[in-house]
Order: sequence, then structure tokens, then C-alpha cells
Amino acid sequence: MTIARIWRIAAREALAERGHPDGFVAAITFVATLILVESLAVGPLAAGQPPVAAALFWIAMAFAAILATTRSFDRELEDDAIDAILALPGGRDALYGGKVVALTALLALVALVGGLLSGVLLSLAIALPGHLALVLVAGVLGLPPVIVLFVTLALRLRARGALVPILALPVLVPQLVAATNGTAAAIVGDATGALGWTGLLIAFALVYSVLGLTIVPTALE
Amino acid sequence: MNSTAALRGVTVVLGDRAILRGFDLEIAPGVTVVRGPNGAGKSTLLRALAGLIPLSRGTRVVPERTLYLGERPGLLHGVSARDNLRFLASFRGVSPDAVGPALASWGLTARDADRPVETLSAGQRRRAALSRIDIERCDLVLLDEPFAEIDDAAATRLMQKIRVLAGERRAVVIATHGRPELDASANRVVHLS
Repeated sequence: MTIARIWRIAAREALAERGHPDGFVAAITFVATLILVESLAVGPLAAGQPPVAAALFWIAMAFAAILATTRSFDRELEDDAIDAILALPGGRDALYGGKVVALTALLALVALVGGLLSGVLLSLAIALPGHLALVLVAGVLGLPPVIVLFVTLALRLRARGALVPILALPVLVPQLVAATNGTAAAIVGDATGALGWTGLLIAFALVYSVLGLTIVPTALE
Repeated sequence: MNSTAALRGVTVVLGDRAILRGFDLEIAPGVTVVRGPNGAGKSTLLRALAGLIPLSRGTRVVPERTLYLGERPGLLHGVSARDNLRFLASFRGVSPDAVGPALASWGLTARDADRPVETLSAGQRRRAALSRIDIERCDLVLLDEPFAEIDDAAATRLMQKIRVLAGERRAVVIATHGRPELDASANRVVHLS
């Protein structure tokens, strides 16, 4: 059954990341550095403005997601590990879902650390923490389906390291805008705004997940 | 002929070059050896059979239980050989308990089996990959240069294993430059040019 296979691939990804947490460490380092530079260079007053803090946080998350996803697939290409999956019955169908699940979990950890750092370094006073958590979850859910899709499509290309950000970031703009607005709304206490943007983020996540599950198995040939 | 697998009228184009053109191959139970110079398309033929590259034309017929072992071991770095093989076995519905004895029979100690694969030697990684033959027990086994990187003991074991598979009426396709003695026991030797 495909769901079970998706979980197996996600578990394997978690094992690999536990053995060599380079994707996680790179993503955390990137997000933490950006937030630190933001707090020092822009100054706590300007950096703590909800739209500014939210925008920089989600830009950092997008790049961190690209970094972690690219690293995950680079690992698959070492020793042709990905071929072993693609040649298995159901492996092709489960690969996309498994990667999305694993990277969502990894990004959730990165978002947690990044969110705490933002809160402390930028002295953010969060009016609606529950709503903020919802926006963060929806925002994190929306990133891997898009990025894994483009990394998979560019998998066999030599220039994939350059191509993935070029292809994925423009597509992510609406999501990043929604995540930024939703986060800012939760910080200032606009519950309706936060929930509205959360709904939109979940819709993005669903659309791209369905798209990825549909086209990636064919694209992987 | 009672075929286990077949390629019929297959054309494979990689980049701007047709590697296989209108190629037909019927694979019967037993051993099929594929030979040819570098660049003749031996690996492409095996990858086509494994469904790893698209066919520009023609059809591929392979059993559900097909095992492909490529030129590289296909094991994920950062994960132990044991966990890699357990993961791959789970896709075939094979019990994870089969992994330990198989790795041991290919000469990997329990300690080596639990080390991340990138810390093993190339020969140990190859032996770990070859143990998939015992674990997954497939009807069609595709081996691309399986004797590369392994020592004499492992090569002898692999030759024995190939004979056992042929005796069990399974089909084994081997792409290799070496081991001329394989040809004597093969059902068929395919020469690509």
C-alpha cells in the first residue's frame, strides 16, 4: 500500500538525517544567521516590526527548505541509492510522498528553532500564539510539496543546484506572501486575518501535494 | 520460448544518441550474459529492463519481482547496511529477520552491518548489495558488473549463487567484461557492439 511505502521512505530519510544531520544543520545555521544578522543590522526596533520579522523568517525558511531538500536528493544520488528505490515495486510512487513527509518534519524543527530565536532576538510580543502556531504549521506544510517537486524534476540535470531556486522561488512567492501576512496578523492580534491566510496556505499545500503525487512518478522515468 | 522477461523492438535514446535501436531480447530462466565494449549499451540494456530509463519505442515485459543491482551498490549513505536492506526488503514484503543471515553469508560481520555504509570498503558495500539476491529472492535478477570490487571469496560465492538461481529456474542477466567462464554455463550470450 502506497501510504505504508511513503512512511517507509520518510523513516529511511529520518535515519539518514540522524546519521548525517547535514541538511538539518545547514538549514538551522542559515535561518539562525539570517535572524541574527537581521536583529543586529536592522536594529531591534525595525526588525521587530511584525511584517519585517515575518517576511525575513519565511524567506529564510524557503531557502532552508531548498537547502535541506537538495541535500536529501544529493545523498540519494551518491552510490545511486535512488535507483534502488525506483526499481522497487511502488518505489517510484512513494518517493515523492516520503520525501515530502520527511522534509516537513525536518522543517518543523527548523521553524521551531527559528521561531524561538526570532521571538527572543527581535523581542516579539505575540498577541495570538495559538494562531501563530497554526500559520507556522500551514506555512511549513506548504513548502516541501513545491520544492521536492522541482528538485525531482531537475534531478538528473547537472545544473540542478542553480535551477531549483530559479524554478521554485517564483512559484513560492504567493505562499511566502500568505505566510508573511498570516504570521504578521497573528503577531499583531488579527485572528481573522491569521485564519484566512492559514486556509490559503493549506490550499496551496494540498494543490501542490496532489500535483507532485500525480506527475513525479512519470517525471522520474 | 518460455520467457521470464523480454524487450521487444526497443529503442533507447540518451541525449542525441540511440543506445539501443529496435532491440529484441527474450530472457529465459537461467543465465544470460551481456558482453560488449565500453559504451556498447550493456548498462543501458539492464536499466531498460529495470524500468530505470524510458523507452523511446518498443515494449518491456518483466516480472513483478525483478531485482536490479547496478554498477554502484545503491545503498543510502548515513544509514547502516542492515537498515538499508531492511528498508528495501520491506517493499517486497520480506521479513527484516532475513537481512542479518544474508549479510553474514556474504561475509559482513554484525558490527560491519550496523556501520553507516559509507564507512565500509567498496567491496563490503558491494557484498551488502549482493546479499539482496538472497533476501529479496526475485524471479529476474539484473546484475551490472557484479564482480567489480569484490575479492575472490565473494566472487566464488557469487558464481555459486548464480548457479543456484539458474537451478531454481530464475532468470539472471549479467552485464560484464570479465569472467569468461560464465559463458559456458549461460543459456545465451548477447554481444552488443
